[in-house]
Amino acid sequence: MEILERLFNVTLIVATLRTTAPILLVALGGSFTTRAGIFNIGLEGQMLLGAFFAVIGTIATGSPWIGMLCGVLAALALAFTFALLVVTFRANEVVVGLALNILAGGMTVSLLKAIFGTRGSIFGHGLVGLPVVRLPFAKEMGWFGQMISGYTPLVYVAFIAVPLFILFYKRTKLGLYIRVVGEKPEAAEALGISIAKIRYTSSLLCGVFAGLAGAHLSLGYTTMFTENMSSGRGFMAVAILIFSAGDPLRILAGCLLFGFSDALALRMQTLGVSSYVILAIPYLVALAALFALSYRARPRIIQETLASMGRALSVKPNTASQPNTASQP
Amino acid sequence: MTLAVELRSITKRFGSFVANEAVSLAVRRGSIHAIIGENGAGKTTLMNVLFGLLQPDEGEILIDGQPTQFANPAAAIAAGIGMVHQHFKLVPSLTVAENVFLGMEIVKGGLIDHAAQIERTAELSRRFGLKVDPTERVGLLSVGIEQRIEILKVLARGARTIILDEPTAVLTPQESRDLFETLRGFVAQGMTVLFISHHLEEVMEVSDTVTVLRHGREVATKPTSELTKSDLVQMMVGRLVSFDRRPRPPVAGAPVLAVDDLWARDDRGLHALRGVSFDVRAGEIVGIAGVAGNGQTELAEVLSGLRPATHGAVSLSGRPLAGLSPRAIRAAGVGHVPGDRLVRGVDRNASVSLNLLMGRQDRAPWSRHGVIDRSYLAAQSKKLIERFDIRTRSAETPVKSLSGGNIQKVVLAREFSGDARVLLVDQPTRGVDIGATEQIHSEIMRQRGEGKAILLISVQLDELIALADRILVMFAGRIMGDVDGGAVSEERLGLMMAGVDADGHAVKREAVA
Repeated sequence: MEILERLFNVTLIVATLRTTAPILLVALGGSFTTRAGIFNIGLEGQMLLGAFFAVIGTIATGSPWIGMLCGVLAALALAFTFALLVVTFRANEVVVGLALNILAGGMTVSLLKAIFGTRGSIFGHGLVGLPVVRLPFAKEMGWFGQMISGYTPLVYVAFIAVPLFILFYKRTKLGLYIRVVGEKPEAAEALGISIAKIRYTSSLLCGVFAGLAGAHLSLGYTTMFTENMSSGRGFMAVAILIFSAGDPLRILAGCLLFGFSDALALRMQTLGVSSYVILAIPYLVALAALFALSYRARPRIIQETLASMGRALSVKPNTASQPNTASQP
Repeated sequence: MTLAVELRSITKRFGSFVANEAVSLAVRRGSIHAIIGENGAGKTTLMNVLFGLLQPDEGEILIDGQPTQFANPAAAIAAGIGMVHQHFKLVPSLTVAENVFLGMEIVKGGLIDHAAQIERTAELSRRFGLKVDPTERVGLLSVGIEQRIEILKVLARGARTIILDEPTAVLTPQESRDLFETLRGFVAQGMTVLFISHHLEEVMEVSDTVTVLRHGREVATKPTSELTKSDLVQMMVGRLVSFDRRPRPPVAGAPVLAVDDLWARDDRGLHALRGVSFDVRAGEIVGIAGVAGNGQTELAEVLSGLRPATHGAVSLSGRPLAGLSPRAIRAAGVGHVPGDRLVRGVDRNASVSLNLLMGRQDRAPWSRHGVIDRSYLAAQSKKLIERFDIRTRSAETPVKSLSGGNIQKVVLAREFSGDARVLLVDQPTRGVDIGATEQIHSEIMRQRGEGKAILLISVQLDELIALADRILVMFAGRIMGDVDGGAVSEERLGLMMAGVDADGHAVKREAVA
C-alpha cells in the first residue's frame, strides 16, 4: 500500500501535466501537417533544433524569451526546408523528414562542439529558464490550486491550445481549407484554393509549435540542452497523430497517456526498478493503448483477410459439400 | 428570342489534334440545350472553353449578347455560368452546407457562421426542389444526392446558366428522372441548362434543342421535336447504324458447352446459382438476360474458373471443366470477355500489344523456349489493331490511355483471335459508344459464323435481341425461361426478368430460397 501511495498522489498529476506538455505541443504542431495531408516525420528534428537554438539564444542574450523566439525561428527554418522539398519539389515525405531529422541531430552535436568545445550537455553559461507562473488565486484552492499552478508558461500554452485548435478546425476558413486540402485536394483545387499555399502554411505553423515544444524542453521542462534531448518524442507524436488523424481532442488523450506513463516511470525509478525498463515504459504503454484504440477498426480487416484466405483455399472443387437440396421446391 | 450563351466558331487545338473546329452554338435563355456526340467528339472540350477552363484558339464567346473572355472558371462563375463536372468534388467529412459554401464561407467575426450557411442551403434546396439535409455529412450520402449538392454549389454561386457534363452517367433511372424534373424547374424559373450526353433516350426526353458534334465539328443544331432517335444516331456516327436483329443462317452445330445442374455461392456465401442447366452449340449465340445480381456474374465466373461451383458439371465437348483453374480452362478452349474489363480484362499500365499477348505468352508461336517472340507479337498486334479497329497511337501505348470502347476492343481482339471454341462474353458494350458497339456486334456475329459457341451475358435487352439465337432469362439464380431470340419482345423479356414465368405465373424469391 505504501508503495502505491508513494506512486499515486497529486504530485503525480502535476508530473503528468509536466511531461505531457512537450509532446502535446509538438503533436498539436503535427496536426497541421497531418490534416493537410502531409506525413511529417520531421517533427523530431524540428523539436531538437528548437531546443538547441532556444538555449543558444538565451545564453547569447540573457533572455529566455528571446531564446524561445530563436528556437521557434530555427524550427521554422527546418519546417520551411521540409515544405520546399516536399511541396515544391515533390520529394518523398518520409525520406525528407528522416534526412532533416538526421541533419538536426548532427548539426546540434557539431555546433555544441564548435561553440562550447564539449559533447553531451550544456548548462550554466548564464542559461536561465522560462519563469514559473504562479497563479495568484491558486493558494486558496487547495490541492486543485497546487495542480494548476506553478508551471512554466509553455505548459499553459500547450493545454490552452487544445480548445483553440478545435475552434480553429471547425470555425475558421484556414482550418477548414487545411482539412479540405488533406482530405480531398481536387475539391480544393476546383474551388480555387491553392493546395501548395495551404501546405506551406501548415508546415510553417507546425514548425512554430515544434519550435515551442523544443524551447519548452530546454527552457521549461529542464534548463539545459542535451544531445538528442527530444528522445523520440517527435516520433511518438507521429504515432499519436496517425491514430488520432490530427483531431485535437484525441491528440490530447494520446499525449496525456504518454505523459502519465512517463511520470509514473520516473516515480518507479525511485523504487529501484532498472532504468532501461523504465525508460521504455511510456513508449510501450502509449503504443499498446494506441493499438487498443484502433482495435475497433480491426475485426473487419481480420474478417476480410480470413474470407479471402478461405476463398483462396476453397478454389479446389468441393464435391463433398453438396447443396442443401432438401430446401428446394 | 434572347440568347443566354452564344459561341461563335470556336476552335480549340491540342498540339496537332483539333478538338473543336469552328463550332458555333446558340443557346436560348430558358431552354434545355443538349450537346450530344460520341466519346471524343469534343463535347467536354467545348464546355470547358465556355467555363474558362480552356482558352479557345479562335472564336468568340457572348454571354447575354456581350462578347466576353473567361481567363479562368472564377470569371465564368462571376458571369453567371456554373458547371457540374462528371466527377464530383465533394469533401466527405464535411456537411452538405459546408460543401455548398466551401470557398465562399459566410464569416461573422472571423469565424464561419455555420447556422447561416445551413439556413441558406435549406433555402436554395427548397427554392429549386433539390432535397437535401444541410447538416448531414456528405460521406454518408448516395451519388444522386451528391449530384444535388454539386448543383446547389453552382446555384449558391449565383449561376443562371448551368452546364452539366454527362449528368446521368452515375445515376439510377429513378435518380435521372428526378434530375430531369429539377432541370425543368430551373428552366421554368428562367434559367438555362446545357447538358452533355451520349444517351439518346434522355436527350429526346428532356431537351428542347440538340446540337450534335462529330469529330470536333458541329453537325447540326435542331429542335428536339423535329428529330427522331435514329436521326440522332446517324448524325452522331455519320452513317446509318442499325440495331435491328442481325440476319443469320440457322444453328446447325453440335452442342459444345454443356452446363448441368450448376450451383454456386456468391461472396456472402448465399446460393447465387441454383441448378442452372443449358447447352450452347457450335455457331450459336445463347443470350443470358436478367436484372443485374440474379446470378449472371457468378455464372460467368464459374464457367471461367474464377469461382468454385458447389455442385454440378460443366463440360466442353464432353471434357469436364469443373474445378480446373482459369488457366486450364482457357487452355481447354474457353475465351472470356469479362464484365469488368478494367479489373479482369486488361492490365491498364501495360501496352496494347502486351495486353493482346496475355494468357498465351507461354505458347508457340507467341514464344519459343520461354522467350517471347517480339517480332511475331509486333506483327500480330498490328494485324489485330487493324482488324478490330482499335484506335491507339501505337501498339506500345499503355491501355489506360485508350477510351472505354477501345479498351474493350483490345479484350475482344485477344479473346476472339485465339483458338477458343467457347466464348463467354459478359457485357461487351457497357460504357461503349454507338459506333464501337456496332463494330463489336459485327465481330460477335462473325465469331458465330466461324462456328464458335457463344454465351452472351448482357443487361441490355436490345443487344440480346439483336444477337442471340436463344435467350435464357435468369431470376434468383435459376433459368426462368428459354426463348427464341428472333420471336421475343422486350416486354415479354422484361416480365420474365421480374420473375414472371413463361406461363404468366409470378415466381416469388422466397419460393426458391
